[in-house]
Amino acid sequence: MPGESHNGMQCNEFEALLFDALDQKLSGGKQERFRAHARACTKCGPMFAEVEAGQHWLKSLTEVEPPANLVNDILAASSGIQSYRLQSTVPTKHRPSLGERIREWVDSLLTPVWGTVRQPRFAMSFGMAFFSLSVALSVAGVKPTDLKQADLSRSGLRRTYYTTSARVVKYYENIRLVYEIESRVQEFKRATTPAEPGPKEKERDKTRKDNTSGQPEPRQERNYSRDENQPVLAVAPEDPPAVSVTTIRRLV
Amino acid sequence: MEDAQIVNGLIRRCVAGDAVAWEEVVQRYHRRIFNICYRFAGTSDDAQDLTQEVFIKMYRTLNSYDVERGAFMTWVTTMTRNLLVDHFRKTKQDRVTDSIDAAPSDHEDAMPLSDRIEDQSAPPDARVQSREAKQAVHQALQKLSPELREAVILRDLQDMDYREIAAVLKVPEGTVKSRINRGRAELARLLQRIYRQVM
Repeated sequence: MPGESHNGMQCNEFEALLFDALDQKLSGGKQERFRAHARACTKCGPMFAEVEAGQHWLKSLTEVEPPANLVNDILAASSGIQSYRLQSTVPTKHRPSLGERIREWVDSLLTPVWGTVRQPRFAMSFGMAFFSLSVALSVAGVKPTDLKQADLSRSGLRRTYYTTSARVVKYYENIRLVYEIESRVQEFKRATTPAEPGPKEKERDKTRKDNTSGQPEPRQERNYSRDENQPVLAVAPEDPPAVSVTTIRRLV
Repeated sequence: MEDAQIVNGLIRRCVAGDAVAWEEVVQRYHRRIFNICYRFAGTSDDAQDLTQEVFIKMYRTLNSYDVERGAFMTWVTTMTRNLLVDHFRKTKQDRVTDSIDAAPSDHEDAMPLSDRIEDQSAPPDARVQSREAKQAVHQALQKLSPELREAVILRDLQDMDYREIAAVLKVPEGTVKSRINRGRAELARLLQRIYRQVM
């Protein structure tokens, strides 16, 4: 009934004003005419009541609180970065300094080793090793004060390297000179006083050298106390050893 | 500086890769988007997932936002609405078209809607009554068709004006008003029916 008029307002006009009425935007006179039409019209009245009730119900719904972790989840899912605000509000844990971290790392490494080292057998071994090393160093003439004064700079290390290698070469050359002189002296000695070999060896050498017959040298005997033509007789021992024979019979 | 200018500045910073600006955007809009999703999808878990999806999509397409073409809020709401429609289509097969007396899901009490309305008549506590009434309205809202539901959510819960809603839903303003009217009336009828049943 769009053309039906109640209290000077038609239904189509009522519908046009419906939203303004619900949004409280109607002025005094229009508002009164609108309300009067709603009361009188059997179609518009119930419709308006339903729409107004529905709006009222919907307006009763309040905003719900999102879950606390939602922002963090969104940031992690979208940009992969955690919340800066949360990071700033969360009390920051005491961050250990570099020295503390190194000490912790060294402690974590040394604790199991230290536990093993403190066992008596290992302690004795390490003690002996240390003693041997210190003795070896003191014999070699190395002093801890020398190490302290060592120049560990790049040029210092290079200088030390060249000095040491020059010393080694010089030492080697000296040793070689000494050995050469020594060998010359020995040669000179040998030339002036020839050495005399032993009597038996001398004779054997002599016969070997004098054998000019072309015959082969007599074969060396295997049986040093017997002649070549002497027969070897088998002799049964007077007390033969008892031999135990074990027979394994196969069962067929 | 006006709000729109602040938002546009934030968007520019986000596009340039400023993570702090992006967090500011999330802080500004997550509550609103979560509420739209919650009222449309009906459950907190779905709303949480959908809100995350909206922001992921927003993060990826932020550089396509054109200031000249409309307010950022309208752009965000349109994106939310489109994802909600997609979600509605995807879950259409799974959804059981149960009656209004069906047990509610998720964090709500496992009590039929009519029982909760019945309890309204003699509540031990006014706060409980209010909470249960809101829950009943929320449940009734889920019974509306998605077209009517989105229209009343944007108008009555998000206070958007008709022109903005028309831009989001991509329908004429007259259609928006008609849907809002029908949605409100349908909701009232649903709730009145429940009242009549329990009285």
